[in-house]
Amino acid sequence: MSDSEEYASGSLMEDEEEEEQESASDQEKDFGLDNSVTVSKKPAYRILKGETLEERRKQALEEVTGVLGITEEDAARLLRRFKWDVTRVHEEWFSNYDAVRASVGLQDEAPVPSTSQATCMICFESYPTDQMYSASCRHLFCHDCWQGYTSTAIADGPACLDLRCPDPKCTACVPTSIIKRTAPPEALAKYQSFCVRSFVEDNRSLVWCVGRGCECAVECCVDRTADEALDVICSSCGATFCFNCKEEAHRPVSCEWVRKWAIKNSAESENVHWIIANTKPCPRCSRPIEKNQGCMHMTCSQCRFEFCWLCQGDWKEHGDRTGGFFNCNRYDAAKRKGDYDEETRKRDNAKQSLERYMHYFERWDAHQKARNKAKADQARISADWLERLSEQTKTPSSQLKFIMDAWSQIIECRRVLSWTYTYGYYALEDMDHKASSTKEGNSSAEENQRFFFEFLQADAERSLERLHEAAEVQLKKVMENNSTAQGNGAPLDLDSFMAFRTHLIGLTDVTRGYFEKLVRQLEKGFEDLERDFGGGSAEEAALIETTL
Amino acid sequence: MATARQRLLKEYKEATKQKQDTGIALIPDETNLFAWRARLQAPKDTPYEGGSFELAITVPEQYPLVPPSVRFRTKVFHPNMHFKTGEVCLDILKTAWSPAWTLHSVCQAIMALLSDPAADSPLNCDAGNLLRAGDMRGYNCMARMYTIEYAMQ
Repeated sequence: MSDSEEYASGSLMEDEEEEEQESASDQEKDFGLDNSVTVSKKPAYRILKGETLEERRKQALEEVTGVLGITEEDAARLLRRFKWDVTRVHEEWFSNYDAVRASVGLQDEAPVPSTSQATCMICFESYPTDQMYSASCRHLFCHDCWQGYTSTAIADGPACLDLRCPDPKCTACVPTSIIKRTAPPEALAKYQSFCVRSFVEDNRSLVWCVGRGCECAVECCVDRTADEALDVICSSCGATFCFNCKEEAHRPVSCEWVRKWAIKNSAESENVHWIIANTKPCPRCSRPIEKNQGCMHMTCSQCRFEFCWLCQGDWKEHGDRTGGFFNCNRYDAAKRKGDYDEETRKRDNAKQSLERYMHYFERWDAHQKARNKAKADQARISADWLERLSEQTKTPSSQLKFIMDAWSQIIECRRVLSWTYTYGYYALEDMDHKASSTKEGNSSAEENQRFFFEFLQADAERSLERLHEAAEVQLKKVMENNSTAQGNGAPLDLDSFMAFRTHLIGLTDVTRGYFEKLVRQLEKGFEDLERDFGGGSAEEAALIETTL
Repeated sequence: MATARQRLLKEYKEATKQKQDTGIALIPDETNLFAWRARLQAPKDTPYEGGSFELAITVPEQYPLVPPSVRFRTKVFHPNMHFKTGEVCLDILKTAWSPAWTLHSVCQAIMALLSDPAADSPLNCDAGNLLRAGDMRGYNCMARMYTIEYAMQ
């Protein structure tokens, strides 16, 4: 990627800027007033609003109903089964017609019974058959029992979309007409919202925006391996979050580290204590699951994933092939993996660990708080000052966008910077433990890694502090100067304002450069560090001097 | 609540009609229709044969929309039954429950489980591991021993 000269210069080269446009353009664009995410060549994601979503859902349904010649209701069943992948529905339908139909509970209509009276197999009361309903299987149940059955299923969650006939041996799907006829109004509304939400929730490339009250969905437009973090900014509500884990955006740290970090941070709280002690996240959809009874064979009530409570592996892999059951609970298995030793050692080093954790946590927390403060400041400046400044300097407010840009950059940088401490906590964990537990210390390569990480971090931090200072203190000074100048009837000091403008824009760009580099380098890891910065620490020391 | 009571009354009538031949005796508590006792005569050709096992069945108010909870009161050595608490791991008592199941059919399912243990999802890992290892002799001996000890008086 970059060589040391380029780095030392502290500015971005042409070709690098292009690269940047692709990788991070969305983030920057959305921070400003420009909401059109699609402008960039290859956006990593797209924000879909309510109407667009509905359009896309209808479109998918139409494609399936059109090609397969089935009802919309059945098309929806198939699409849910195949995660709203229209092509796959078509393929499966034509290659495994019977199996696919059976899997979603579609059956040929059974003959209508000739009797006029029948016993409902739930309440065992007798009713005239014309007052009873059934799925295509003709297992008749009375209105009240259907009502109880459908409303219980709807209360249990989105799995009610795949509701089957109450007869234990029957797999026929319950038609929507019965649900509409029997479910109480509130339940029905819930059912219909499940239908709509399924388009996003069962869809691999879509997630809901996490913003409160925001009804947008985010579509991932790039190939993404499972568990790969992707920072997203909602153009509608401004929420920033990770596509994969739904937590706050956290580049360059991985989702796993963020999860561990969050648990660690709130370990004091009783609730979290309870959750950790009594629940585990579903390995597929990560909703917390409480095990309150039964065996180790778990089924997630949300996504229906089946897994083993002990090792959280796929239940399908728990068989003879993998060396028999309940190997996953054996002490020696844990010991072989080193987990046990790790635990003991950690306990031995408890005090040191705590100090180490406090170091990273305090810095992480400080940047998080600074970020929130910066957000509030940005809002205040945008509300109170911009208009005044625009009048005083006789510049249109569009020309003052640079101030907002600077603040947006500050907020973004605070976020990245706070996560680099989480990164440091986990990435340097082994190294720190080794350093404290053995006399020998670390190899020079490891020392270089640490040095390089802390060097990049310090550099970015320094640049950000400069920018923050300029945007906060200097801006205030400019404002005060201008207002006193006006008060005295003296001419506006436009020159100093323009100088401030150039200065701030420059600082914003430089800071952005530093952070791009930081994020990219941390995401890449330290493997090619030796190649890129093959020299010893002398060269790196020289770098510091040039940048200072 | 009302539906649950009505349905339980019907089930009670059924239970008084058919008796010994199925090996299942179902009786509600004298004062509480929502607490039942069942006595199972263990199926033949199993290590439990000759044993008589008592179940405690607690019926929730939303029954039959939600399943009853069933516990062995007699100690039993079986991969799908908890050795200490007597809890039963059976899919129809959890996710696969349907309101068309009855207390009687639940007992039948438990009888079936006695003769056909599902070692794939064990609650009693020792029993499960014996079966998975193919050690039928070990499993039969253990199950037999506990049956004689606790279920045959």
